[in-house]
Amino acid sequence: MANERLRALEDVEKEIAMILQCAGNIVLELSKDKHNASLLDRQLVQFQSSVNRVENELSGQIRYLTQVATGQPHEGSTYSARKDCQMALNRAEYAKVKLGELGRTCEVMLEQPQT
Amino acid sequence: MATQRVLPQSKETLLQNYNKRLKDDIRSILDNFTEIIKTAKIEDETQVSRPTQAEQDHYEMHVRAANIVRAGESLMKLVSDLKQFLILNDFPSVNDAISLQNQQLRSLQEECDKKLTSLRDEIAIDLYELEEEYYSSSYSLWDSTDLPLCEAYRRQDSWASPGSSCSSTPGDREDVDGPPSQETNPQHHLNGHSAASIEKP
Repeated sequence: MANERLRALEDVEKEIAMILQCAGNIVLELSKDKHNASLLDRQLVQFQSSVNRVENELSGQIRYLTQVATGQPHEGSTYSARKDCQMALNRAEYAKVKLGELGRTCEVMLEQPQT
Repeated sequence: MATQRVLPQSKETLLQNYNKRLKDDIRSILDNFTEIIKTAKIEDETQVSRPTQAEQDHYEMHVRAANIVRAGESLMKLVSDLKQFLILNDFPSVNDAISLQNQQLRSLQEECDKKLTSLRDEIAIDLYELEEEYYSSSYSLWDSTDLPLCEAYRRQDSWASPGSSCSSTPGDREDVDGPPSQETNPQHHLNGHSAASIEKP
C-alpha cells in the first residue's frame, strides 16, 4: 500500500517534467514562422491534462495524509524478529562449520594407511 | 552569530502549508504560461518603437519562463516533502510493512530451525554408527587398562573404604597398585604444601 502511494508520487514527478516540456514545445512552435496547428493543439491538451492530473493527485495525497497523520512517532519495530532470524542463521552456520570439521576428520582417517 | 532554529510545526499546519504551496505553484505555472502566449501576439500599434517593444517582450518572456521553471522546481520539492511525510506518518502502511517483514523473518527462522532439526535427527543416526566403528577400531586412543569414567569413580569410592584393601586378591594387586598410586599422588599434592610449610623454620 505504501509502495503504491510512493509510486504514484513518482508518476507525479514525471508529469511535472511533462508540463514543463509541453510548455517549452508550445513556445518553440510559436517562435517559428509557420506553426503546426495540430502539434500545438496536441501539446496544449497534454499540458492542460498534466496540470490537472498533478493538482488532483497531490490534493488527494494531502487529503489522505490529513486523515491519517497523527502527531506521534511510530514505535513499531522488526528488531526482535530480525534478531531471532539472525540467531537461526548463526545456528545453521555453526552446524555447517562443525559438519565440515567432521567430514574432514573422516577423510583424514580414511587417507591414513591402515596399520 | 545567531543560529537559525527550526520551530516544530503541528501536522495540520504543515499539511495546510503543503496545500498552499500546491495551489500557488499551479497558479504560477498557468498564469505565467498564459501571459507568455499573450505576449507572443504581434500588435501593430505600439506606444514605443518596435525594437524597444521587442526587447521588453523578450525580457518579460524570459522572466515568466524562469517563473514557470521555478514553480516546477517548487512542485518537485513539494512532492519530495510529501514522500517523506508519507513514509514517516502513514501509519497504516508502516504497520503493514512491519507485519509483512516480521512474517517473512519468522517464516525464514522456522524453516531454518526445521531443517536443522531434521539434520540433527539424520546425523544422530550416522554418528552412532561412527562412534561404534571408532571405539571398536585400533585407532581409538582408549585402551583396555583405561577405565570408563563411571567405573573409575566407582572404584575410587571402594578404595576409600578401609575394608576393601584387606580383601584384595593377588590378581587384583596390579590393579590395586595402580589406583593406590593415584590415591597417594593426590595426598602427595595435598601434603606437599603442608610438608613445605613444616620444612620452613
